[in-house]
Amino acid sequence: MSEPIKVDIWSDVQCPWCYIGKRKFEAGAAEFGGDVEIEYHSFELAPDTPVDFDGTPMDYLAERKGIAPAQAQEMLARVTGIAKSVGLDYDYDHVHQTNTVISHELIHFAKSKGRQIEMKERLLKAYFVNGEHVGRIPDLVEIAVELGYDRDEVTEVLESHRFLADVKADVALAQEYGIQGVPFFVIDGKYGVSGAQEAATFANVLAQVQSEREAV
Amino acid sequence: MDATTLPLPIIKLEQLGDPTAAACEGDFCAIPEHHQQAVVNRKLDEDAV
Repeated sequence: MSEPIKVDIWSDVQCPWCYIGKRKFEAGAAEFGGDVEIEYHSFELAPDTPVDFDGTPMDYLAERKGIAPAQAQEMLARVTGIAKSVGLDYDYDHVHQTNTVISHELIHFAKSKGRQIEMKERLLKAYFVNGEHVGRIPDLVEIAVELGYDRDEVTEVLESHRFLADVKADVALAQEYGIQGVPFFVIDGKYGVSGAQEAATFANVLAQVQSEREAV
Repeated sequence: MDATTLPLPIIKLEQLGDPTAAACEGDFCAIPEHHQQAVVNRKLDEDAV
């Protein structure tokens, strides 16, 4: 039996294409049908964002890009429509724009428990679909407790920032790979696939890697 | 330049897939034209059903 194909994915919790890309990759991996081992890595798109950003995602986009609120609203509506096409109900009216570094720490904590992918999915859903806050420790603790984690342990882990170094190590590794945007997929340590590609693209890349392995 | 200020080495990756696929860079998430068209197409399809 062959080793699973390793896929390292750089992603941020408040990246709309990362959630869409996650769904497309999952569809592609299912289409491929072989064994795939996924590991998520942290990427901070806007590390200077305050935890309690005073405004909506529309305000944030308009402010950062220097565009009219109506134009920002239109952009968010378009992303929402694309998310819908892969079965995701983005609710930008209730999204809390924030700093995601602690949510990345929580994902690393979950990884230490062998439950990284579950936490990644839950935090993306929290941010884009449920309108939950993913920047504050008490809110993140509630999410973790809902998944069955021990409240005291999670609180201690997040308040001590025990996994902050792991987050920063992921960000540094992204720099080593030259990754500028997310989602970014590194497949078998040698192929880079950037962005929310179509499912068939992911399936083709995985099949290519598989056939190269079999040819050796 | 000391070790802490040296730029990190770039690990070479062979790029595959559509280079224009949607991604977020910095604090901006681009919306490629073909994705907009895909949404329009989907709406047309839904209306046609």
